[in-house]
This record gives sequence, structure tokens and C-alpha cells, in this order.
Amino acid sequence: MTTLNVRVAAVEQVTELVKHFTLVQQNGQPLPRFSGGSHVVVSMNINGRNHRNPYSLMGSPDNTESYHISVRRQEQSRGGSVYMHDQVTVGSELQITYPVNLFAISKLAHKHILVAGGIGITPFMSQIADLNRLGQHYELHYAYRSPEHGAFVEQLREMCGDRLHCYVESEGQRMSFQQLLSQQPLGTHVYTCGPDAMVKTLLLTARDMGWPESHLHSEQFSAPPIGDAFVISLAQSGIDLEVPGDMSMLEAMEEAGLEPPFLCRGGACGRCELEVLACDGALMHNDHYLSDAEKTAGNKIMPCVSRASCQKLVLNI
Amino acid sequence: MNTPAFKHETFRDDYSFSNSAEAIRRFPFPFPEDDYMYSVNIEQHEPGAPGSVLEHLIDIDEHYLAECEDRRLTLEQDPDRCIITPHMIDAQWDMVELVMESLAADYPQWFSLSKNGDDWHWINTPMGIDQQFRFGDASTLPMPPFEFITRQVQGDWIIMDQRDDDLFADMGMVTSQADWSIAFDAGMSFKEWHGPVPQANEIGVFDRALKYLLHLQYGSPVRRLNWTMTVNPRLDTSPENYPFWGPDNVSVTPENVGDKVYLRVELQALFRLPRSNAIAFSVRGYLISLNELVTYPRWGKRLHRILKGLHPDLSEYKGLDHYRQTVIDWLAPMDDGADLGLGTQPE
Amino acid sequence: MQRGYWIRSKPIYGSLVWQSPAAAHLVIAAGEGGIAVLKLFQQMYPREPIQVLYAGQPKTGRDYAEILGSTVPEGLQICNSEAELLETLKTQLGNYHMGTQFYVAGPEAFLWQVMKSLGQVGVQDADVHKELAGTLARPVYCVHCKTITEAVHHNIFSCSHCGRKLFVRDHFSRRLGAYMGLMVDAEQPGNIPKIEEVYP
Repeated sequence: MTTLNVRVAAVEQVTELVKHFTLVQQNGQPLPRFSGGSHVVVSMNINGRNHRNPYSLMGSPDNTESYHISVRRQEQSRGGSVYMHDQVTVGSELQITYPVNLFAISKLAHKHILVAGGIGITPFMSQIADLNRLGQHYELHYAYRSPEHGAFVEQLREMCGDRLHCYVESEGQRMSFQQLLSQQPLGTHVYTCGPDAMVKTLLLTARDMGWPESHLHSEQFSAPPIGDAFVISLAQSGIDLEVPGDMSMLEAMEEAGLEPPFLCRGGACGRCELEVLACDGALMHNDHYLSDAEKTAGNKIMPCVSRASCQKLVLNI
Repeated sequence: MNTPAFKHETFRDDYSFSNSAEAIRRFPFPFPEDDYMYSVNIEQHEPGAPGSVLEHLIDIDEHYLAECEDRRLTLEQDPDRCIITPHMIDAQWDMVELVMESLAADYPQWFSLSKNGDDWHWINTPMGIDQQFRFGDASTLPMPPFEFITRQVQGDWIIMDQRDDDLFADMGMVTSQADWSIAFDAGMSFKEWHGPVPQANEIGVFDRALKYLLHLQYGSPVRRLNWTMTVNPRLDTSPENYPFWGPDNVSVTPENVGDKVYLRVELQALFRLPRSNAIAFSVRGYLISLNELVTYPRWGKRLHRILKGLHPDLSEYKGLDHYRQTVIDWLAPMDDGADLGLGTQPE
Repeated sequence: MQRGYWIRSKPIYGSLVWQSPAAAHLVIAAGEGGIAVLKLFQQMYPREPIQVLYAGQPKTGRDYAEILGSTVPEGLQICNSEAELLETLKTQLGNYHMGTQFYVAGPEAFLWQVMKSLGQVGVQDADVHKELAGTLARPVYCVHCKTITEAVHHNIFSCSHCGRKLFVRDHFSRRLGAYMGLMVDAEQPGNIPKIEEVYP
């Protein structure tokens, strides 16, 4: 996995819960170009343990001087976002992966409808830069809790003009997906990122209105949830490892010095998929990658975010 | 490699192409063992040994000018060998960047690139090209950006758009192909475009390769070798011109086999492109006549064993049936059956 | 072709069945494709608006315009030729919105001509339901002179433009809407395998 060593050049408190970090290469070189919708995985050393969280790149892809990520503080998590908020300051050094795009704009689309909820706005900011540059037809619908939680609204208004539509929950403004998706011209694609319920409802509504799957795009990263400890048995290498409650299987394997493949670490890309050979309990799937049928079948698992409630899980690696 | 000069030679009509001793020595011989089975065998495209074809991301060798000239002739007769669909505009510029930056960094004696913001200045000394242009503004180049740059680099380039968990061959410069047509195959998905390779579909080779490629990362290109054989050092073995080269397939005799039959090795490299999120697939062909190949007896023996054991379906797929036995018979006396060990090295 | 593998580019067509959910339905058919439309109307009609565009082929096949007229409850439009139908389609596509289900039935060349028009407004191939109707005749692209011969019935035929004897491969290009035709006797001129009708 190719990585980049970056330094935090600026930190901006955007809203009460959101901080915006500007990252530059430690060696002063330009950063790699990327495409709108890309993310990077940030490595953090928290109490001697390596955490890796995916964050969308929200700067313009034209800007190779610096990368921009925004982190929403999540108190109920294993500490990655809290660490970013409390420990990472100007001058902090971090390691990030090269950008990966799991949320690319469709080049065949004739019109793009972007639907963001809360911190889900971030991937759209780089997408909009690309859409503007390419002269594409789009509209952005952005919902947030209250005026003080509307991160980047001013910047977005500058970028999008009257193509920006804001929905402020505290003021009783609600987005009607039904209305949004009616009467859209053929060749329209819809993209959504935000809270789980919003993403699921939008996709369901679109399907119910006859939109084909190829025109629906969403991105969601999960954080590895905390659970009970269990043991994984790696069939090919003949190793048994304990997975503590606050560690993912992927992290446990890495702690043990193994280098299993990974890409997004948020259950979205499918790169780390492993075959389940046996399990004396139940698999607890937390990813967005496997289909419901695959989850039920129980012979695949994403070690980056999923766990098992069992004594022993045997994996083909 | 310190090859100072580019050779004057042809890949058609009088077929004056040949390899220097140095080019033979660096030939990417593809068989590390005596058996061959179709596989994806992908590895990281990291810089290889100095002087080898893997030393740089994009290899420029003594055939550079002659291959570019052959491409020019092919395009003159048939502009459809370069297919560009409008939605690939970002990928066109990605290719300009990839090729210009690699060549200027790896071969400063021949290529130079200077940038002032989006104002770029490209000099290709061997081809006598000196072009100033504005990056991102196609009107500042004499032709589409993808065509402009791929006329200046060896090998075929196919650019695949990634969407709906698949890859689509939506752009390509293909003038030195092993019997497939970009005009016909443009727009095809990964599996439509590849199938059927005998013995490959059943074992899920393409499903795994596709999944792997969908996750290919910018900055981490990968490569593999593929091979076939061809009669005469012809780059343009296209279906379009099959009426012209087809008769060559039945022209091999025990007397001319060493001269006429060539092993053709494709160094295939795959690059994620940054702006477009597309994948560039480069297919760089290397040709070596059997006479040149057997100057290293180890290679002659190895090829003999490979061809003897080749599955009949693969032989047919690669179009070797007309002359495979003639080649085997010609190589047989040179194979003493000695254990060659593992590896592709010449000696 | 050997058991166990097929050429992946070759399209596999199904039978038209009303798709649900949908905002509207657009059914496009030519010639024998009329039968596929009649079969659709033997199924339970969907509630959403239905439009049917049909062109008969009086010369080569049956013309179902009359029967369709008495069967299709609403939105039937009869065109005098495939060309007229394609023109009508182009002018009307702007009236349709996301959520429309598309159904196409007819000879293979027709299916892909319709697909070309749909593709231009951003409708993707996989989202259009297609039924091959009446004939297996193939549109074939001569890879040498780049022209398409419509309705080829034999495994080997003479290119309508350059006259070369072409073998029809199973390799299909959705972009061109045609199979590949490759010169059959390039290696040994005049050596032509038995010619048979295989696409009646």
C-alpha cells in the first residue's frame, strides 16, 4: 500500500462538532492528483495502537498543494475522531494512503443530483469542483440539523450558486425524496452520502420509483464497532489470534505483524474480503459491501468493520 | 541501457526489423518453467534491473522511432485505430501527464517537459516535436491529446472507464495488436472484451482479475507478461488487415522457420489515472525471431518444451496451429533435455 | 463452440415481462416484435402510463399493426417503417423521465438501433429489456471495409460492400450493433468451408 507522509498545515473549527484539517506533504512536494469523490485513509497512533480511518477529500482536485479533510467528532466511537479533534494540531505529522475513489461521478450521466446529510457533504465538495470544471448539469441538496451545523454553506454557495438547496431541520425544512426524484430527465444519476437512515431511504425511494441501480450512487463508511472478544484462526498461516473487544479483525491481524490487504477500512470497497471456513457462533456484518444474500450465506466477511459473536472464527487466509 | 541511436527499420513490406545483441539480451522472455498455463500472474510494476525492459515505467528502446513511424503509417490508412469517446476527456489529459512526466524523468537525454502552471512545454527530440500547449485546453494541441501523446510512445494503449463495478474499453490507440480491433471492441466491458480465453473462464480468472483491477490504486501500477507467436516482424496483425497478413501464416517451412517465426511478448501494464479514475492498460509488444532467440540456448530449449506441452485449445487461440509443429521440429535438435531450473534469464 | 464456454460479448435476450416498479412504460417494436408486444398485453397491465411504438415490416414479416390496434388499450402509435419509428422515438424521448421502463422487440439490428437512440439520452444498455423476435438474421460488420451488412442468414457470406467472403463470428459490438465478419479465406484464397444457413 503506497502511503504519503503529511503534516497538518492548518486546523479550522467549522462548527461545534466539525474540524477541517489542511494537509501538506512533509517533503514539500505536491500531492497526487485525484478525482472528485475520493478519500484517503488516515493512520493514527492512539495509545500505542494503530487506528486507520477513511476521510473524504473535500478540496478541489486541481489543488495539489494541500489536501483537505473534515472530521466530525463522534463521542460514541473508538476514539479516532476524538483523537483527531483533541490531539492533532498544526504541525502534527500523519500518514495517509494515496487517494482512492469509491464514489466517482458517472461519466455517462446527463444530469447529477447530489444529496448530502450533515458531514456527508465532504465528498461532494471535490465532486462539485470536477462538475464545475467539466460544465456538467447538477444540483446539490444539503440537509443539516440547524443553521450552526451547516458546515461550508458559504463556500458551497460560491461554488454552486443557485444549484445549492439547503434544508435546515431546526427550521422545519425537509427534503422530499419523492418530489426530488420525480420528473427528472432520462440520464439523471443520483448520489447520496450522509446518515444511514437518509441514504437507505433515498435509495429505497428511487428504486420504488423505477430508477435503475446503475443510476444510484452512495457512499458510507462504517467505523469498526466495539464488541466482545473472540478468536480468529487463520487457516493458511496456522495462527490463532485473539480479537479484543475494541479492535477489528483487520487491526488484530496487523498487530500480529501480518499484512492482509485493505483499502477503505470502512466496509465500503470490498478489498479486504475474507472467506469464512467455520464459525461456532454468529457473524456480525457491519459493512456496506456484501449483499444481504451474501451476509445471510455467511461464507464471506469484511474484517475491517465486521465481527463475530463466537468462540472461534476460522478464516481462509 | 546506453543505446544511443534508434534503428531505421520496417515492420512491413521488406521487414527489415531486427534486434541488436543488446536488445536480445534484454528481451522479456516469459517462461520461468517448462509448463505454460494461462494465468493472470499480476505483479507490482516496480522499477526493475537497470538495462532491463522493466527499468522504467515506460520502456523506450532502439525500435522507438521505427515503431512510431509504423503507427503513423497505420493511422494514415485507417484513422479508426484510435478511438476516443467524448466522456474520456479527463483520461486524455491523464495520459498526456503520465507519458510526458515518465519519459521526461526517465530519458532526459531525449525528452523534456517544463511547466509554468498549466502552460506546458514538451520537447521530443528523436521525433523532432517541440510543442507548447495549455494543459486542459485541447484546442492548443494539433490533435486530440490522447492521440497526440500515444503517437509518441511505443505499444498500444487502451483506457478503461470504471463504472457499475466494471471496466469499459472506452478509448484506445491500437496499431500493433495480436488480432483484435479497437474499432470493434470499443465500449465493451472487461469480460466482453476478454472472453473467451480457453481454459480461463472456468477457473474464474477474469472475475478475480476484474475485482483486483477495480481496486487498483493510483501510484501503484501493476504488470504481467503475455505471449503469442507471429510470422514476420509485423506490428499490425489486426483483423482489419488480416487479408494482407493471413497468407503469411501458411508460409512457414523447415527452411525459413528460424527467420520467419517470431516470439511476441507483451508487457502489459495497468495504471490508475488520477483525474478520470480510469485505468490505462498498456500493451507493449517485443518481437524476437527464433534465430535471435536461440542465440541463448537456454531460451531455445525452454521454448521447445513450452510449445510441445501447450494445450491444443491455447495453441488454436493463439493462432499457432499452422506452424507450431514446424517450430517444435526445428527446436528439437537444440534441446538436450537438461534441467533448466526456474527463471527466465538467458543463461 | 465447445460446451462450457461462450463468447461473453454475444448478447442474450429474454422475453418481455412488465417491470415493476415503474413511473411509465415505453414499448418499442418492429415486425415480428409485434408478437412480443401482444404477449406483454396478455399479462396483467401495469397501472402506470403505457406508450407503444410499432413499425410493421410488410415485406419481410407479418404486420401486427391491426391486431395491436384492437389489443393495446392506450398510447399505441403505428409507424410506416423502422426509420420513421426511430425518428418518432428521438423526438418523443424528451417527454420521458427517470423511472420509465423500456422494452424493445424485433430483429437484432433493430434492437441495437433503438439502443443507440436510448444511449444518446443516457439510458444504459443493461436497463433496457430486449426480446429478439422472428428471425436470427444478424447484422454483420465487415472488419476490413467497415460496412454493415443487414440480415445475414449464413455462416459465410459476401460483404455487401467489398465483396470479400466473410465468416460470421459470435463476437458482438454493442457500439456498432453488429457481429464481426472476418475474411474466411485470407490464409488460403479460395479455400472456403461449407456455406450453411444458420441464422434463419
